[in-house]
Amino acid sequence: MNEEALGWVIRTRDPAFNDWEAFTLWLEADPGHAAAYDGLMMADSDMDSYIPVDPVVMPVAANDAGVRGPWRWVGGGAVAAALVATVSIAVLNRSDIYSVTTRPGETRTIALDDGTKVELNGGTTMRFDRKDARFAALDAGEAAFTVQHDAANPFRVTVGDDMFEDAGTVFNIVHAGGATRIGVSEGKVIYNPQAEAIALPAGRALADDAQGLRVMDIAPGAVASWRQGRLVYANAAVADISQDIGRSLGVTLTATPGAQAMRFTGTIRLDRDPARFFAQAAPLMGLTAVRQGDGWVLKEGPHKEGPHKEGHGPQS
Amino acid sequence: MATGLSAIFMANRAALLRFVRARGAGEDAEDVLQDMWLKLEAKDLGPISDPLPYLYRMANNLMLDRYRSSSRRERREQDWAEGAGGVMADPSDDVAVDERMILNERLEQARAVLRDLGPRVELVFRRFRIEGVGQRVIAEELGVSLTTVEKDLQKAYRAMLALKQKIDTE
Repeated sequence: MNEEALGWVIRTRDPAFNDWEAFTLWLEADPGHAAAYDGLMMADSDMDSYIPVDPVVMPVAANDAGVRGPWRWVGGGAVAAALVATVSIAVLNRSDIYSVTTRPGETRTIALDDGTKVELNGGTTMRFDRKDARFAALDAGEAAFTVQHDAANPFRVTVGDDMFEDAGTVFNIVHAGGATRIGVSEGKVIYNPQAEAIALPAGRALADDAQGLRVMDIAPGAVASWRQGRLVYANAAVADISQDIGRSLGVTLTATPGAQAMRFTGTIRLDRDPARFFAQAAPLMGLTAVRQGDGWVLKEGPHKEGPHKEGHGPQS
Repeated sequence: MATGLSAIFMANRAALLRFVRARGAGEDAEDVLQDMWLKLEAKDLGPISDPLPYLYRMANNLMLDRYRSSSRRERREQDWAEGAGGVMADPSDDVAVDERMILNERLEQARAVLRDLGPRVELVFRRFRIEGVGQRVIAEELGVSLTTVEKDLQKAYRAMLALKQKIDTE
């Protein structure tokens, strides 16, 4: 293989390339150079037929990588396989708009005609358009988007009054309790292109809730980690985390005001057995989980022998 | 359109001719430039921020098209000579099921090749080759040097081209 020619293929494919004089000189140096370049450019365009377009995410922070081994989940597909998602398809006012709903604990993947993939977490309602594969609306819940980018016809997700527009992208949106959170793991998303027009590159997240509109950093590997049976957080409020858990596992979960205000950084492994899940996850967050009726309540403080000891110091 | 781009074309005609000639046009170099000129006149292009690199790229693409169509013609003539005969299948026909299986297999192979390169190399290659992001931008995004990105790309390209060679000889 001609290393020099390959170098020029890569250089001239760069959108910012402008040293055409140097390229001319190289071509003139040997009549065989042009042929070698053409051959490799052909091989390059042939690659289009077999380059997989699925997303790749950078490894998460080192501490998480250490956790991933021993904590290996039985496979993200287990959640989907364990349950058969019931999908209600409701015909709305326009005949080409249809809605997809998952119950808490169910997941479902929607493949749109343009190659875009939308993965719905549990407790989620979305709308799509049969005639327009570039439209999606997240009415409630959480979904991860792996978008086939087309600059001329961007993919748009409507969330309440807001709109997110892709720019070559893998991202996750949560819309629950009047709040919206989005995390971008690859490419770029534009928030409300007609108004605020906030660009969110990979590794950035946006939250729009009672505290207002905020932009923050997020580990790209943490975005939509529910698909791998994990929930990854950096300084996240337990109020948000308990919603994520309820949606992912299909359990009714509440948190006391004190617990809701607490924050957590780390990885929580999802487990379909709620008792086993909370026995592991609650102490991790510095909380106690108590079964209450059909659901669970997250309380402050480590678990002791009985509830009467709650609120006492660690020495009690 | 006798505006900017045509003027830049005329001012740099000699350099472009030299490029097209070196690029393999030989005796046809003048014809290629004539083609380019007609295309520029026909298209109503808005203002272009970097006109000269734009013209070079256009010339380079024209040369690639020429190479592509000539090699396709050669292949067609060869198929014909080898006695393909009869009615030739329309290449735009739907891909047959077994071909689709082969394609899926190739995708799997490519996926494995990319995975073996490691996450950074794979990410760099994807950003560059699929999303068309420039090397300098990728280096900034990842917080690595431009040289690192260049090396990653060379590595990924070599691996992908080796895979292509393997597929072609199968």
